[in-house]
Amino acid sequence: MYAKLAFRNIRRSLRDYIIYFVTLTLTAALMYSFLALGLSPDILAMTENMSMLTTGILILSVLIAFMSSFVIGYAVRFMLGQRKKEFAAYELMGMEVKTIRNLFLVENGIIGGGAFLLGALVGTGLSGLLNQVIQNIFEVPHTYRVLFSFRAWGMTLFFFTLMYGFGMFRAASVIRRQKVIDLLYDNQKNEEIGFQSLLRSVLTGLLSIAVMVAGVILLEKGLHIQTNEALLYCGGACLLILVAVYELHRKIPVLLYLLAKRNPQRKYREENLFFLGQIGSRIQSSGRTMAVVTILLTISLTTMFIGLTMGAGYKANMEAYYPYDAGVAIDAPLTKNSMDTVRSFVEKRCKVEDSATYYLYTVPGKSIEALSLSDYNHLRDILGFSSVSISNNEFLVHCDTWNYVDDIQQRLEQQSKITLNGQTLTAAETPILTEPMEQYQMAGTNGYVLVLPDKVASQLPGEKIRLVMKLADGGYPELRSELRQFLNSGEWLPDIQPGQELPEKMTMGITVKAWGVANSLTGFTTLSFCGLYLSIIFIILSCSVLAFEQLSSIDKNRKNYAVIDRLGVSSQKQVALIRKELSTVFFIPLLFPIILTVFLIAGTQLLFGKSFLQEGLVLFYGMVTILLFCAIYLTYFGATMFLFKKVILRPKIR
Amino acid sequence: MSEVLKLEHIQKYYGSKGNVTKAIQDISFSVQEGEFVGIMGASGSGKTTLLNCISTIDMVSAGHIYLNGTDVTEITEKQIAQFRRENLGFVFQDFNLLDTLTISENIALALTINRVPAGDIDGRVREMAGNLNITDILDKYPYQVSGGQKQRCACARAIINQPKLILADEPTGALDSHSSQMLLSAIQSINETLGATILMVTHDAFSASYANRILFLRDGTIFTEIFKGNNSRRTFFEKILDVLTMTGGGVSDVC
Repeated sequence: MYAKLAFRNIRRSLRDYIIYFVTLTLTAALMYSFLALGLSPDILAMTENMSMLTTGILILSVLIAFMSSFVIGYAVRFMLGQRKKEFAAYELMGMEVKTIRNLFLVENGIIGGGAFLLGALVGTGLSGLLNQVIQNIFEVPHTYRVLFSFRAWGMTLFFFTLMYGFGMFRAASVIRRQKVIDLLYDNQKNEEIGFQSLLRSVLTGLLSIAVMVAGVILLEKGLHIQTNEALLYCGGACLLILVAVYELHRKIPVLLYLLAKRNPQRKYREENLFFLGQIGSRIQSSGRTMAVVTILLTISLTTMFIGLTMGAGYKANMEAYYPYDAGVAIDAPLTKNSMDTVRSFVEKRCKVEDSATYYLYTVPGKSIEALSLSDYNHLRDILGFSSVSISNNEFLVHCDTWNYVDDIQQRLEQQSKITLNGQTLTAAETPILTEPMEQYQMAGTNGYVLVLPDKVASQLPGEKIRLVMKLADGGYPELRSELRQFLNSGEWLPDIQPGQELPEKMTMGITVKAWGVANSLTGFTTLSFCGLYLSIIFIILSCSVLAFEQLSSIDKNRKNYAVIDRLGVSSQKQVALIRKELSTVFFIPLLFPIILTVFLIAGTQLLFGKSFLQEGLVLFYGMVTILLFCAIYLTYFGATMFLFKKVILRPKIR
Repeated sequence: MSEVLKLEHIQKYYGSKGNVTKAIQDISFSVQEGEFVGIMGASGSGKTTLLNCISTIDMVSAGHIYLNGTDVTEITEKQIAQFRRENLGFVFQDFNLLDTLTISENIALALTINRVPAGDIDGRVREMAGNLNITDILDKYPYQVSGGQKQRCACARAIINQPKLILADEPTGALDSHSSQMLLSAIQSINETLGATILMVTHDAFSASYANRILFLRDGTIFTEIFKGNNSRRTFFEKILDVLTMTGGGVSDVC
């Protein structure tokens, strides 16, 4: 009997449950698809560090389950509010509170179970798409193939039960505590409107701004500290900024509302008076929720942008970081023969098609190193670039770090001649070349290098030696650890240049492109996917909260709109008012996150834009972030608007 | 005095096929400008249905309703809003004030919807509040004032645009006797001093005694009507009670 009643109740309350059901389904779908991805043996086998993705997704799933449980609690409060009269009727008919509670839990169990099953199904489909995206990133041949994992399924069920169980526990305790009289007459209670004075609101607003400025100063300080103390500074700064954002979002709407009401021209224009009343009520009842949503959206947008941009930036810069198949860099005055054994070691494992052993020469009194023209051309040849020539009294600069190019150009225009060991050299006809050569370890260490005629270079001290190799099929990732092991073992005996000594600490670097590519892609995948996972779910949760907040006041709103209907406000005007009201409520929490995101995009472009080797990358991912966010946000807004309009504009008898 | 409202053979049925309820069977009457007409009857007699039909909230099944010469039954959905703005004022039992606005703003709302210039609004609100003795509560919210004050605010909102007809549905239904008396005096004063035409539905004989004419409904038809004429309110009240005693059931109902 009760099961039948529960089913009927669900069918009847479909309107109230739809957003709740969609949110639960989406959360389960995203959770399953990301967990399936993070736990997929195929994905994990792609690189040795791929477990980073699993760890990231698991940690985020715990956080998401925790946050979702609050949203479910919120949704439950909304549903209980909608059904107060029904529960009162059950109680008056003699149904025990325990039975009512069980009825509600059965209903929600059916909804939750349905949402989980549907979510897992959608998630399985989605996992196929995510799988394809990852395969595509790693340039592995792929077809659409769903990822079905019992482990992922079990973990999703665990997290889902955890978050849903918390919501249900809360619902049970609310039902137990409610009195019949409250259930019967709660919706007849007057809405109490009361705000702080304008002066007090302004003062609190100013104080919040001061707190935010303090937070930014602290953050700036923290970013310049190299010790663990930085964490303390940054943590404190984030806390101050979030408190300020929360308080500002509580005060700004109040300030705007009070200011609008002070101006009779604005207040009495058309239906503004009614609109202001509606908004005042929203600010009063949902101010805290909107401020919390603001914080969630701020975290979502920044996480999504940082995740996508940093991930893509990582990938874009990868080619420049690893232009050589394999390379060994040793900052010590060794003879070129020292590198022969290293080359032989590699040759035994992988065919070496070409190799170059060369020095990065020290230029006395300058913070720049030099390459001899022949070594430089050899490197160009390995990289597939054409050779260059300069005469015996010329030099050129190679700089693949494009933010230094303008500066070098200017300096060369001011001073086109240099004197080394008594010989004056003039800048070549094409004084700067910019092809990617990896200039922070292999072809220089500052992002640029001087290219000198062989005769001039050979007179300079060669204190840093390099070996680069072109390997058949590009080598393999494990070569890096094998090389490292070899160089640190007693098998390799470095030969020191005559009259030189080994430095106390010898810096040694090994690069293997195959390893680098795999790990860069892992970093890219982990950053991007974790960023997306967290932010999409946070956006969905925030939107759900906003939607429930609106729908929970739908009956009160219906009454208010019925009043203006009788006062002669047309249906079209009412639709426009509903749109304006909902837009305002959905827009207020967006104020800070959008401003911050725009600043973040502009700031990232300004500070790091030049570091990304793909032009327009920051702006592109900034746009992707905003568009993805808008798509989810507008869908929820549209659904809320649809339900709101449907209920409020339901024909009033006529 | 001109005719403000005229009803011609109004009928209103609910339901369909074999399950039809006749809420109004055949009602015709007219109201002159400046009249204060009461409509009385037992529950289910069709009072509220009649008021809803006149106020364009509900549609008639047959017949015509003319308000100031306009046939209300012919008005299209698009014209209704403008028609209500220009011709009707409402007072309801449960006040229907907006909790989100102050008393003053609730009254001003009717003016803003009628596009009255912003500069005139505060003055007109104060003047109307003075007439209804609610000046000192203008800046309060509805939850901060008594039921009687709320209903006077609702009255002020209903008449501030000087509508052709004020429709009141059990205006004293949610008030105590003292508040009811104050409100009814206020409505009477609006009728007498401002010349407002009022149609009030009530089941309370005391409230009805403030009207000039009472229409008694029974089973969807006008059972009888009585006029106050030159009688005192007390005499009129007794006449109303006499009619109510009769409307309780006819000779034909006694077996």
